[in-house]
Amino acid sequence: MSEAQAKALHQSPDPGRWLDDHGDYLFKYAVFRLRDDTAAEDAVQETFLAALKAYEKFEGRGSERTWLVGILKHKIIDHFRRTQREAPIGEEFEEGPEHADFFARVDEWKGHWTNEHAPTEWHATPAELVERSDFWKVFGDCLSPLPQRTASAFTLREVDGLKSEEICEILSISVSNLWVMLHRARLHLRNCLELNWFKRED
Amino acid sequence: MKTYDKAKHAIRFYLLRRLPTCQQTVEKISQSMERPLTLRERISLKLHLWICSWCQWYMEHLQLIRDAARARADKAPDLLTGATLSDEARERIRHKLSNQS
Repeated sequence: MSEAQAKALHQSPDPGRWLDDHGDYLFKYAVFRLRDDTAAEDAVQETFLAALKAYEKFEGRGSERTWLVGILKHKIIDHFRRTQREAPIGEEFEEGPEHADFFARVDEWKGHWTNEHAPTEWHATPAELVERSDFWKVFGDCLSPLPQRTASAFTLREVDGLKSEEICEILSISVSNLWVMLHRARLHLRNCLELNWFKRED
Repeated sequence: MKTYDKAKHAIRFYLLRRLPTCQQTVEKISQSMERPLTLRERISLKLHLWICSWCQWYMEHLQLIRDAARARADKAPDLLTGATLSDEARERIRHKLSNQS
């Protein structure tokens, strides 16, 4: 193969091969964050289409997969932004369950944990949990009942580690709204994981 | 030892009566993951955690959830089994891409 041929081969994008090489990888990346097969498929498709348009900018610099994941990240954020626009913040802003019942003691210790909801010891490490697909199934199921915006905020913060200001911009909410949403998501998720995962292990 | 336990119990009781409740504390714990707490907030949180293993566990659990979720997010595409692109979706995307290129 001549140098010119090699160059030509290198420069023409091959979306069919992208799909074979990276399709599943990108889908798994997206579905963990979006928790919705259709939305994840759409994000993967949009990523390849955008990659096709922007191929000249890539020019084979660095890893193809890293480049594609970079585009996918933007597509996922676009998805969160879009769902936010479809359900704009209303008067009756739903931030998720308050779970005041967790602290509704009837004795003189009102405001402290009730016996049924008090946390117990977990005995787990992140390294163990990372490997357990069944744990992440429970994790996803526990996030599902939360309002869309609350679950999105939680994912952007705890999974992707975005800064507060970035999340507020994406979801068009104030920082104090975000903090209330994160607090309620954590309270709900921790309890749900304890009931459906950690207690089961005993 | 018995005197020590008694004293500890008395201090616990005294503090629990005067410190923020668990309900107020868990909100502070969540905020401590978002912003630096003020000195006053840090002191009352520390004291509460000293006497309340429930809230201590609560804080550990939130950190564990964060650490595990971020570790999983970094590794997810290689680890997840079962969840792959469906044949229908794959064909749909392939078709779309061949129309574009």
